[in-house]
Amino acid sequence: MTRVVVIGAGVSGLVAAIRLARGGAAVTLLAKGTGGLQLSQGTIDILGYAPDRVERPLDALGDFAQANPDHPYAFLDAELVGASASYVAELVGAELLVGDPAVNLQLPTAVGAVRPTALASPSMTAGACVDGAKFVIIGLKQLKDFYPELVAHNLNRTDLPGGGRLEARPVMLGFPAREGEVDSSGLTYARALDDPATRKRFAEAVKPLVAEGESVGLPAVLGLDDHNAWSDIADLIGAPVFEIPLPPPSVPGMRLNRTLTAVAKASGVRVVPGSKVTGYRSPGGSVACVQLATAGGIREFAADAFLLSTGGFESGALHADSRHNLRESIFDLPLRRPEGALVHADYWGDPQPLFLVGVETGPDLLVRHPGGDAVYDNLYAAGGILAGATRWQEKSGEGIAVASAVKAADSILAAASSATTEGAAS
Amino acid sequence: MKTLTADVVVVGGGSTGAGVVRDVAMRGYSAILVDRADLGQGTTGRYHGLLHSGGRYVVSDPHSATECAEENAIVTRIQSHAVERTGGYFVATHVDDPAWGDDWAKGATDTKVPFEEVSVAEVLKAEPRVNPKISRAFKVEDGSVDGWQLVWSAANSAKQYGAKILTYHRVTKINRDGDRVSQVVCTDEKTGEEVRINTNFVLNCAAAWGGQIAHMADCPDVQVVPGAGIMIAMNHRLTNSVINRLTYPADGDILVPVHTVCIIGTTDQKADDPDKLQIAWDEVQQMMDCGELLVPGFRNARAIHAWAGARPLVKDSRVGSGDTRHMSRGMSIIDHSERDGLKGLLTIAGGKLTTYRLMAENVVNAMCAQLGETRPCRTADEQCPGSEDKKNYVITHRLEEREHDRTEDQILCECELMSKGMFTRALADQPKGSFDDLRRQLRLGMGPCQGGFCSMRATGVALQSEHIDIERATGLVRLFLKNRWIGIWPILYGDQVRQTALDNWIFQGTLDVEHLPGPTHEEVV
Repeated sequence: MTRVVVIGAGVSGLVAAIRLARGGAAVTLLAKGTGGLQLSQGTIDILGYAPDRVERPLDALGDFAQANPDHPYAFLDAELVGASASYVAELVGAELLVGDPAVNLQLPTAVGAVRPTALASPSMTAGACVDGAKFVIIGLKQLKDFYPELVAHNLNRTDLPGGGRLEARPVMLGFPAREGEVDSSGLTYARALDDPATRKRFAEAVKPLVAEGESVGLPAVLGLDDHNAWSDIADLIGAPVFEIPLPPPSVPGMRLNRTLTAVAKASGVRVVPGSKVTGYRSPGGSVACVQLATAGGIREFAADAFLLSTGGFESGALHADSRHNLRESIFDLPLRRPEGALVHADYWGDPQPLFLVGVETGPDLLVRHPGGDAVYDNLYAAGGILAGATRWQEKSGEGIAVASAVKAADSILAAASSATTEGAAS
Repeated sequence: MKTLTADVVVVGGGSTGAGVVRDVAMRGYSAILVDRADLGQGTTGRYHGLLHSGGRYVVSDPHSATECAEENAIVTRIQSHAVERTGGYFVATHVDDPAWGDDWAKGATDTKVPFEEVSVAEVLKAEPRVNPKISRAFKVEDGSVDGWQLVWSAANSAKQYGAKILTYHRVTKINRDGDRVSQVVCTDEKTGEEVRINTNFVLNCAAAWGGQIAHMADCPDVQVVPGAGIMIAMNHRLTNSVINRLTYPADGDILVPVHTVCIIGTTDQKADDPDKLQIAWDEVQQMMDCGELLVPGFRNARAIHAWAGARPLVKDSRVGSGDTRHMSRGMSIIDHSERDGLKGLLTIAGGKLTTYRLMAENVVNAMCAQLGETRPCRTADEQCPGSEDKKNYVITHRLEEREHDRTEDQILCECELMSKGMFTRALADQPKGSFDDLRRQLRLGMGPCQGGFCSMRATGVALQSEHIDIERATGLVRLFLKNRWIGIWPILYGDQVRQTALDNWIFQGTLDVEHLPGPTHEEVV
């Protein structure tokens, strides 16, 4: 049985670990923290802007890859990306992800922009911004990360991507998540609304605010562990309800994270939380093990293959020092660095070169020297650490992550299988 | 068009202008202050926050040293809430000559700057991050001062004496009647309206922009050379005292704890235009090296914001025009009746924030002399609004306030512990203000996340007020993000890259703020 260590517990690490385990590998997932999914909006973005708004992301990938030959989508093709998105949707089920990877949904954000994404939580889809839609956007006085006026009034002045306009009106509702608390996080609300009795009180407070024909937009705090909390609320109100994602901590992201982690464990992945990799050994041309600094000494995790899915600058996987020397934090891997200055002054301008920095891989996701050979014969990379994408602008983060995770897992399994075959032949 | 009348018009809303308008108002003149932007938006808001003990100048500029020592005590008293009595040290690093300390100590004695020589061990006990290789140290009475609080409290004092403060009023012309000043013409930048102020006297306190203002009164060639300096805020207080290098004044010789951050400064480059100051990468590197000398490991600390300020230095024939550090930092008053034959116009420049009150006293004395009147200055004798309780600022004050109101109010900015109530009150006072105007009073977005979490909240709360509609609210947040970036990109390294990536995930990734419908006109001020 081939042994694989996956480093990093974001969407790419979790998806790769599950696929590897289900493919017959013995998988250890080393997680420094809780992974980047909790910062995300709980959707699967594939391609939202290229740079113009994209309606059909899989159809757009070919031209996008041609225009951006250094982008991960240059070697992660549309068929792979579409299949990988569907794979994640199957893993978490229709309670958490719905939609067609080939068609973008256009969903409202917490400032009232219309944001393209491929797959979303079913709790969000009634917010599709289409001509003639009627929304009442309801904020909660005790929740400071959601302002219904900002959402509704910006939506009202937006020419919708598919043409036309919608009508939205704001309402602010006082509904404490906990008695006597005026400053509650989205997570506090989500936990409170896991309780059916609280949901009932909440729905009773919301119902009189909704007019005939309106869909109800609420901050994305409708339950954490109970994935049907939102539909329960919708039934009680008697109108379609949709969640609008908030800045971190993101409840929909947390739902995906918890579910994928549970699926990983159920698939036999050994998850080791609190594991910051502090070293490695690589005799010859292979990584033999990675090391953790634990109480009493160094603990080693040996494996046949390693997958680096540690993210980008946001997670600390990449680091730029005060002289702009760049470093990959674990293996000090060679990085692809754009020429010239890494940062420029124009906030609304071109992508900042700094955030295009990352590791380069071949189509098999084996990490290589920029433009050259593999660094080690068993070190793969997936997700945010791959060079060449400005994920937050393109709305491409999860698409790159899941496609590279699936492809890396399949490459590792294929290499293991061919090694076994060779071994058997000799 | 609107026409107003005042005995005196003060041009410039920095520390000098605010001090001057307070002084003239307290002497019983009717006064109007005009500034093209907000109060403290020029040099006053772009410095390192040091309230000088005088120690910096005891050798290079003894007269300034004495003035600083005296004014430090006065400002600490009359504007107590704007001043933190941090104390400070002059330390000889391992590359400095400890013997120069003897010259320094003699200078300090001669100039009556209070000091005490202390052991290296004592410094390290008080400030454990200071370089253990320092060889000599003197303790002084440096403080740190919030320039915006200082300016606003002086302006509010002036208002209590009947003065008018007109921000966002750009002077376009100063008219004369024969050999006398007769009128100041302004444009209200928020409404576009022309405002004419009939007056007999104009006090030009526009500092680095003073030459431009004098020119509007047809007094050409007033040479105020902007000496540009950069400053970098680090994400927390590496030291709780001001740390000065014990050398002749040089670049990067000071670390000042201000509020939740500490600021390293500064450089000195001659600038052509005070509105176009650059922060060069090599200057940032120079500051980092200087920081390493004072606090080892400085480069690994997190820089959160950089800015440049323009010192208003009057050109002095005794030094070359390229060497702005050694131009006079003493105050200069230009009497245009002697220089240009125009009565009723005085230009003041030079000086430093610590001595702003004294500068005001001197220029108003000069005005009274020209008018042939005797009205004594009283600005050193009376507390400014906000300082009635005579308590100095302490770093924990907001924590204490939030302890009292946390069950009734939300915290919009966790970095700076700014409550929703603080924001809505400031907005009600300045309904036409930009988020940067409010930031200068509230420290909105000035902490480690640089607006990552609070900007959207501020936008939502602003929209709930009756003052702001959706186009303006959206324009304000776009402008705020753009303006924050001006100070972030020059120092974008280390953990601030990580923060910026998170902020980008929030604003672009989750909120998609760049695809909000465009405004009919972009907010620019």
